[in-house]
Amino acid sequence: MTVSSRKKNYEIPEEHVFLSGHNACPGCGQALAIRYVLNTMGPNTISTVPPSCAAIISGPQPLSSMMLPVYQTTLESSAASAAGIRRALNRMGKTDVNVLSIAGDGGTYDIGFQALSGAAERNEDLVYVCLDNEGYMNTGAQKSGASPHLVQTATTPGGKPTQKKNIAEIMAAHGIPYVATASTGFPDDLARKVAKARDMRGTGMRFIVALTPCLPGWGVKEDQGIAIARLATDTGLWPLYEVEYGTKYTINRGPQGIPVREYYKLQKRYSHLTEEQVEELQAEMEYSWQLLKARSECIPERGLAAGPAQSG
Amino acid sequence: MNGNKELVPTHWTTGWTTVLDTGTWRSTLPVHTWRPAPCFVNCPLGNDIPMWIGLAADEAFHEAWLALVDNNPLPAVIGRVCHHPCQTDCNRKVLEGAVGINSLEQYLGDMALEEGWSFPAAPEGSGKRVAIVGGGPAGLSAAYQLRRRGLEVTIYEAQPELGGVLRYGIPEYRLPKAVLNKEIQRILALGVSVKTFSPVADSAALAALRDEYEAVFVAIGAGRAKMLGHLEEAGALSGHDFLRTLAVCETAPDLGQRVVVVGGGSAAMDVARSSRRLGRTVSLVVLEERDAMLAQEEEVADAIEEGAALFNGAMIDTVEKAADGHLVLRCVRVKLDPDAPPGEFCPIRQQGGDFTLEADSLVVAIGQDPDFSVLGDQVETAGGLVKVDGGLAAGPDIYAGGDVATMDRYVSVAIGDGKKAALSIAAALGVGDDEAPKEYTLAEAVTPEEVNTYYFPEVEPTERDKSPVEERLSDFRESRLGLAFSQAAQEAARCMSCGTCIECDNCFVFCSDMAVAKEPDSELHYSVLKQYCKGCGLCAVECPRGCIIMIQETE
Amino acid sequence: MMPTTTDEQRILLKGNHAVSYGVMRARPQVIPIYPITPQTPIVEKITDLVLDGSFDTDIMTAESEHSAMSAAITASLTGVRVFTASASQGVFLMHEMFHYASGARVPIVMAIVNRTLGSPWGFWPDQTDSLAQRDTGWMHIYTESGQESLDTVIQAYKVAEQVSLPAFVCHEAFYVSHALEPVIVPSQAAVDEFLPPFDPSHRLDPVRKESWGNVINQEMFYRHRKDMSADMDRVPDLFTAVDAEYKEKFGRGYGILERYGADDPEILLVGFGSMVGTMREAVDVMLAEGLKVGLLKVRLFRPFPIAELREAVAGVPKLAVMERNYSPGLGGVLHQELKAALYGMKDQPLMHGYLSGVGGMNVSVERIEELTRKALAEDPVPESVWV
Repeated sequence: MTVSSRKKNYEIPEEHVFLSGHNACPGCGQALAIRYVLNTMGPNTISTVPPSCAAIISGPQPLSSMMLPVYQTTLESSAASAAGIRRALNRMGKTDVNVLSIAGDGGTYDIGFQALSGAAERNEDLVYVCLDNEGYMNTGAQKSGASPHLVQTATTPGGKPTQKKNIAEIMAAHGIPYVATASTGFPDDLARKVAKARDMRGTGMRFIVALTPCLPGWGVKEDQGIAIARLATDTGLWPLYEVEYGTKYTINRGPQGIPVREYYKLQKRYSHLTEEQVEELQAEMEYSWQLLKARSECIPERGLAAGPAQSG
Repeated sequence: MNGNKELVPTHWTTGWTTVLDTGTWRSTLPVHTWRPAPCFVNCPLGNDIPMWIGLAADEAFHEAWLALVDNNPLPAVIGRVCHHPCQTDCNRKVLEGAVGINSLEQYLGDMALEEGWSFPAAPEGSGKRVAIVGGGPAGLSAAYQLRRRGLEVTIYEAQPELGGVLRYGIPEYRLPKAVLNKEIQRILALGVSVKTFSPVADSAALAALRDEYEAVFVAIGAGRAKMLGHLEEAGALSGHDFLRTLAVCETAPDLGQRVVVVGGGSAAMDVARSSRRLGRTVSLVVLEERDAMLAQEEEVADAIEEGAALFNGAMIDTVEKAADGHLVLRCVRVKLDPDAPPGEFCPIRQQGGDFTLEADSLVVAIGQDPDFSVLGDQVETAGGLVKVDGGLAAGPDIYAGGDVATMDRYVSVAIGDGKKAALSIAAALGVGDDEAPKEYTLAEAVTPEEVNTYYFPEVEPTERDKSPVEERLSDFRESRLGLAFSQAAQEAARCMSCGTCIECDNCFVFCSDMAVAKEPDSELHYSVLKQYCKGCGLCAVECPRGCIIMIQETE
Repeated sequence: MMPTTTDEQRILLKGNHAVSYGVMRARPQVIPIYPITPQTPIVEKITDLVLDGSFDTDIMTAESEHSAMSAAITASLTGVRVFTASASQGVFLMHEMFHYASGARVPIVMAIVNRTLGSPWGFWPDQTDSLAQRDTGWMHIYTESGQESLDTVIQAYKVAEQVSLPAFVCHEAFYVSHALEPVIVPSQAAVDEFLPPFDPSHRLDPVRKESWGNVINQEMFYRHRKDMSADMDRVPDLFTAVDAEYKEKFGRGYGILERYGADDPEILLVGFGSMVGTMREAVDVMLAEGLKVGLLKVRLFRPFPIAELREAVAGVPKLAVMERNYSPGLGGVLHQELKAALYGMKDQPLMHGYLSGVGGMNVSVERIEELTRKALAEDPVPESVWV
């Protein structure tokens, strides 16, 4: 992923699916991610969206900001709802239509996890994109399973005592055809992964978790959304990588030698950290990175032609 | 609700949010704007540097050269001798260092000479005639700018050949005559008339020119060398004469083995380095400290590398003649008075540190003054310069520029003056519709904070190679080589194009409201959709080069 | 293994399996399933029918009932007929999605095998599980036999797809679900004639691009509920007509209410589900003994057919409701709802409500007789009575 200062920094082919006039906050990371997810999936898609910022962004009845059919689910049901759509489409012979689920971290890591895991076990043929802003931002920035260690949220004002769930590894452990992490800081990488997932239609479940900063929720200035997303990856806290069939790892971008403190100091939600805590988090990041690298190197490759069979 | 009887369906959408106006949310609006880059602001020629480097980086070399020669007809010359103020405030210096703009100008200039590129033909003449007195850089620049606007131009040059200080002041190893000749020839090929060996003798002759031509541009330079009385008595030669002899005779006056040069400017360095190439032992006695010397730092470094001894903060107090005729120079330490008027050097003698230099000859290169005798009462003078207005007019049909009218004794300033005077003359004569180019200050230029350095990964700067010292000293071959293609490409790629949009699409890519639209036919390349823009400012932050400013909208 | 015939056949089937055959004939395209006693045989039989080639459909083995119902809703919104089944805890887990389904106006038909609710644990016939869903906007039909369940599944699709509201077909654990009886399975061709393919006017379709479920304001919400109300109000007449049409075609009809026994009874026994079968026997016995009694079977419970009920009990001096459910703080659901439905009737019958079969307690013919005499002898009280 190189950046050339003379040519376009990002080459991202887009269809025209996501529309202006939506209700996202100015500079919203999720809205930017939704733009690339929808415009890459293309109009021959049906999507589900649970209660989340994405639901508000999708528009007030009778208007929609998304030029494709979107079904608003309950918070637990994203993956199950998407599965219902996929199966109905297949029965109707419309196997060329993409099925997409866009959900927040609450609807993915927490209350939506059962449905997600069940769908993965059944290898449902859909693309699931989690827009991770590390908390229940739509309802006022409460803690979720995606909130990182020691972060301050509305329900953990003293700092979250537990670790962020490693959803990518959990989903990789299901052995589904495609798992990837992504970020609005690297929109071309995100779009590439969505395109790759889209083109794997027919193989089963494809899962992408994209870090999408919430500026009011994280306490970051309105125009710093991209800078902060990049820093999350470049400090090593959110490495970008892909896992196919739970065995084939491709690391796209790891830490770039920037200390985690550079990331924390720009966010109000970390303003309470002590020096010791910052060092602790730095050490945790380094260990996690070692773990990821080790895992990526130690798993023996297996033939990828035969993936898990689809049920039904 | 109004009288609309149609009830909004309670489920299943029927329309799109594009009818909504989210622009009402914002209080600041991003505006795509061309902004001056610091290099452009500092360039005395008004060169649109980001623009032509951009073309070169895209390998559109001919177009880049055409953009370059819009302001400067002598790029191969400038690429060798300019003091490059463009690089002083280059924003890239906050990363690895300034872009080698000067080296790139040389690259394009040399390519043009190799490829034999010529200027586009001059248009049909308007019949208006202009005389240019002095065929140095200012005169040549004016001739070029006037001729390409269709005016008839005649240069009156006192010397046997055109070039002025370029030929008679700058030595071969810095500016080969072959290069100079080709660039001059290219200007003349536009159809410029030249009269060499033709000094304007006196005020009456100047007046006659003013009658004969629609306008006259005086660019006679500053040809009278300054001299120090006590040193002249001791037989010192002026740097001006030394260098002129070198140019004309291709060798220097025979000054004996040990040459002492007085002066800290480019001319002094030229004398010193030329003498070294002639095998002489050279010392430089300079009033000011090293960092205050008027010569370019590279020239001073080169002089020392080539074996000249440098004595800063010193002056020759007395000169004695030894028995065998050589000079014994008693030198003392000095500090310059910091409160001296600008342009004046007032040395304050320091106690102790006296030293003696043995010399066979003395060359004094401490600056030059214009010779006003030929101008008479045709123009007013003030402070040793011709008095001119902002458009370089010294009178109703007479203009002056270059060393005769400015204390900024730089080739680039002279060329800039030539262009400025030509535009003033063209406007006064009703030719063309050039607007006077707007001048900007550094305060208006893109600052390093407005450049998004994330988009510029580290690339080591490439400098032009110098040939090894022994080779350099062996003769007057050009001592610094130009960039190779790959080096030029890499260096051009380091230009961040501050303030000039290169359609990188970042603003378009990062708008979560899709409120930045591409406008391929517009000069600014993009527009902001006011109906949707929420004023978050992400586009301005992610613009790598500060081309988007956020303006406060009315309450 | 050979596929079963598509012709009409008469086979011995347990109540649950009768449902499976009815489902097969109705041709739902997507069936999300999750096991729970005593519903599991319905879905297991369906998977067998798929395996042997009798039934071409997509089985989704969901990881919970909540997900099963979630998938059913979206499959229906995408444009295919859907079926699922559950009981007790599974029904409760689906509760959130029941509201969601009716709000989405999807015509899902679902079998509920009425089973006691936890806690504490039990596996006995009790209708509190489905009755606790009575506010969810689903139609409720309570059957007393496997045959009736099979026929009701088919009828329910026809009604549901016309009013765009989902339906529960409920029969009780073990008494109906596991009782073996000879069942007539109509031919596929006949059912296809009776029940045309599902063709909704709105659906999730990339060509149509309409989205479902964006946030609405108060006025729209009010109207949405009012629209539901209007369609619910059509159901009693519509179901009656569909049932009549079914009877004409297949020879079996049940009405939305059924009166049995004396035309001019002193007392009507009122109930739903399998207890009605026992009531029939008890009524026959009591008629033979000279008692002027009858029964009123409530088949359609939601929408609560108020007008039809008032008409059915007009002129009857007393009613004795006997039920297998209990709503804490209220009493028997049928008793209390019926009482409210009859409010203000001229010569409103006196009503007793007996919590006779709560928790699956056996209610025998003798017991019913006993309660009938008790009801005739005593004055009613407003509360439902534990007996």
